[in-house]
Amino acid sequence: MITHLKNGRIYCPVMGADGVVQDIYVRDGKIIAKPSSTEKIDQTFDLTGKIVMAGAIDMHSHIGGGKVNIARMMLPEFQESKKYSEPEAHICTPSCSHHATPNTGDTGFRYIEMGYTAAFEPAILPINARQAHLEMADTPMIDKGGYAMLGNDDYFLRLLSSNADQKAINDYVAWTLHATQAIGIKVVNPGGISAFKFNQRRLNLDENHSYYQVSPRAILKSLSRAVHDLGIAKPLHVHCNNLGAAGNFETTLNTMSASDGIPMHLTHIQFHSYGTEGDKKFSSAAAQISEALNKNKHITADVGQILFGQTVTASGDSMMQHLNTKYANPKKSVIMDIECDAGCGVVPFKYRDENYVNALQWAIGLEIFLSVEDPWRIFLTTDHPNGAPFTSYPHLIRLLMDKSFRNEAFAKLNLDAQAMSNLTSLNREYSLYEIAVMTRAGAAKLIGLNDRGSLGIGAAADITIYTDQPDREAMFSKPDYVFKDGELVVKDGKVVKVVWGKTHTAKPAFDIGVEQGLKQYFDKYHTIQLDNFKISNDEIAEDGRGGIINQSN
Amino acid sequence: MEITQDNVKNQHNTQTIVATCPACGLLCDDVLIENKQLTIKVLNTVCAKSNQFFEQALGDNSPKVNGQPVTLQQAISHAAQLLQASKKPLFAGLSTDVQGFRAIYNLASKTNGKLKHMNAQSMARNMAVLQSSGWQTTTLTEVKNRADVIVCIGTDIVSHNTRFFERFIWLTHQPSDALFTDASKREVIYIGENLNTKAGVSPDGRQPISINCSKADLPEVLAVLRALIAGKDIIAQSVAGIQMREFLAIANKLKQAKYAVLAWVAKDLDFEHAELSIQNITETVALLNSQSSRAAGLSLGGSDGDTSANNANTWLNGFSLNNDKFDHDAMVWINSFNAKKLPKKTDIPLIVLGNANIKFEQIPDVFIPVATPGLDCSGTLFRVDSAVVLPLKKVRGNNLPTLAEVARQIEVLL
Repeated sequence: MITHLKNGRIYCPVMGADGVVQDIYVRDGKIIAKPSSTEKIDQTFDLTGKIVMAGAIDMHSHIGGGKVNIARMMLPEFQESKKYSEPEAHICTPSCSHHATPNTGDTGFRYIEMGYTAAFEPAILPINARQAHLEMADTPMIDKGGYAMLGNDDYFLRLLSSNADQKAINDYVAWTLHATQAIGIKVVNPGGISAFKFNQRRLNLDENHSYYQVSPRAILKSLSRAVHDLGIAKPLHVHCNNLGAAGNFETTLNTMSASDGIPMHLTHIQFHSYGTEGDKKFSSAAAQISEALNKNKHITADVGQILFGQTVTASGDSMMQHLNTKYANPKKSVIMDIECDAGCGVVPFKYRDENYVNALQWAIGLEIFLSVEDPWRIFLTTDHPNGAPFTSYPHLIRLLMDKSFRNEAFAKLNLDAQAMSNLTSLNREYSLYEIAVMTRAGAAKLIGLNDRGSLGIGAAADITIYTDQPDREAMFSKPDYVFKDGELVVKDGKVVKVVWGKTHTAKPAFDIGVEQGLKQYFDKYHTIQLDNFKISNDEIAEDGRGGIINQSN
Repeated sequence: MEITQDNVKNQHNTQTIVATCPACGLLCDDVLIENKQLTIKVLNTVCAKSNQFFEQALGDNSPKVNGQPVTLQQAISHAAQLLQASKKPLFAGLSTDVQGFRAIYNLASKTNGKLKHMNAQSMARNMAVLQSSGWQTTTLTEVKNRADVIVCIGTDIVSHNTRFFERFIWLTHQPSDALFTDASKREVIYIGENLNTKAGVSPDGRQPISINCSKADLPEVLAVLRALIAGKDIIAQSVAGIQMREFLAIANKLKQAKYAVLAWVAKDLDFEHAELSIQNITETVALLNSQSSRAAGLSLGGSDGDTSANNANTWLNGFSLNNDKFDHDAMVWINSFNAKKLPKKTDIPLIVLGNANIKFEQIPDVFIPVATPGLDCSGTLFRVDSAVVLPLKKVRGNNLPTLAEVARQIEVLL
């Protein structure tokens, strides 16, 4: 069957198409060249005046796994909040539910309704990977995948502190990718989650873990090298030390040099761009961070924008989240030490525009978006649900594309925070092409999704079609059509067909001999068998619904 | 017989398999079993629950309507008719794995049904604490490698989790060892009513500390302990017959521990408002962590797939399972694991999807024997600490349908 998408205005950075009117043809889930005149066209969509982009890709969103489910379990009141009207300053569309912990079905539906066709869980604890994949398997409509967390697990820290050679580290990292069915590697508060179990309460970049006597810098160096040596696309995903702490921007700046020029991705960088200036000893360091990002071409980042309202922060960073429990709103939280593997901290949070720190956090995120020059190296995220639910993306896109809208929102903020931000002096407005870079082509390139994020011939036909509207929030909230692997799944913002999507993975070659040491370690110190740690392809493909795509082939 | 794992030895029709045991929340995955012409024998464990689970007979696999054998298709279609006629069925028991639960969840969604696990009452105690204040907890591998003080509160643990001390505290089996503490020197403390403290005796014969207090006094005792850790002055010389110096001794041990673990089993805290006592435990942990040492809570027990059902329900609909009472006009009793867990007597239509060995007190309208995950079919189960999820293996040949297959076939007819 051939589908003809006719006369749409194409925004595809992979092809360099910046609003050119061009036809697209789809067959068997792929975009194909114009068929010969003898071939039958089965359906035609007249897209005259419409905007056509590849399906959007969320490269960092907590959609599956232990801590998200703990958040759901702890916060039944959030489920009710679907009916609540909007909180402060956040101007909503009807489809924006403000609901920070949707169930798996709603997660898939809300994403596809906004034209997103893939989302990546950025913090899969290897020991908990099976749960993450079970939840993602129950998330309809979109493709998914995840980054496995290393760098706080005792196996790795033992290797590093005993000066194991880089090959041993590389094999372990590759083995972890296979065992957890992940597409990338993440490190959260390098060494800090483990150090917290030894009663260390903070860990700086060049400070040693009290037991292993290794520094976060050494962990970053070793893991970024391993990821690079293995040849997977996704650079090491780094959640820096000192999350959320005033003055942490220096840690973030210094982290950029920890990998000796090897690519690294610094995630939710807004939460790591805080200075200590002013009466309240909390200030924006967006200028310094953006300047460093512009200069350091080996570094990419996503923002982790906060938006006002009720949400919950769910992080692997038990050390820093334990410090945040005193700000919990409502007043409850979960902190866990997990399996000599990692940890987690789940703290509900309400960002308020009249609060100085929250208002400045909002401004800092936008300052970074507007000051980082290369849209291929900065990504649109709210660190769902930590900064705001992913359903806020259309609102965030409007903030980036519409200066007067942004400045109006800014004028409602806490006055002291306004005085500490240069946001209104930043005149930049993102173009549709730049939005397509940061939410499509750039994200696909970063993660290594070879067949996604593009409207070029041969790409998977994940396609989103919008009506061009001056109100970009309205436009990005409700696409006219979304195609997933060539099938029409959304029409006028509503799901018309349920599909299940696939799981993207990276499986670089490695020396299976690594299992000898691992087996001894598991038998001695772990509480499960090594074989049961590994997730098979069959487990993910069960019921014939899901399936694995190996992007390292 | 299709068994696909590396560690199977096939000699003279005898297979040796390393299996994962779903008989309690620990999910021990080192159980060596021998399958000799469909008769299974556990070779290496000392756990009666595990032996009983693996060595249970295959049972009569024929479905029944009103006690009379029928074909599977007839039973499925009769069950579908009863559900069709019901306005508000209750799916109870829910003793199954993740795959089985998902299918039942879908069937319940389709039939306007409600869900209630057989362990709902004890699970609700924990959920009340989680949803009121949250908690700071740990998992079994952390306990094994780190815990230097372990407090068993209102429970001996081993009545539920037989191998807890062997596998995670004393590490008596080679090559098991702890990374960060000397296992043999751990301090075990019991607080509760006439608890069996035998398992808490160290391998070199050191007795555990035992604070004997009645179940009725436990809430007060825990409140005093929390107050002491919070640094409050207590005027009383003794509480519940326990001298203040005994309390202080325990409080000091907790404060001086490198990694104190406070464990409870919600099922054993079986008294009114037990959730407040659990909260006193978890808030004591939070206080310790806010001071100068590390501590963690540990909820133990768990079985019949309760942790799995609760987790899967939470991601599928956003809410944890609860212990609400539901009006219902038909009941589906799901019991895959333990033949002894029977439905309550009822006057309304009763459908049982369960273990083939069930001996009924009341003949159900429909009984469909289903495969037991970990024995008759593969599956997936959450461990009691919720962090670890393990695959279960099919270890014997049989022609029982899985719960998911039966539920889906019923759903198709609705």
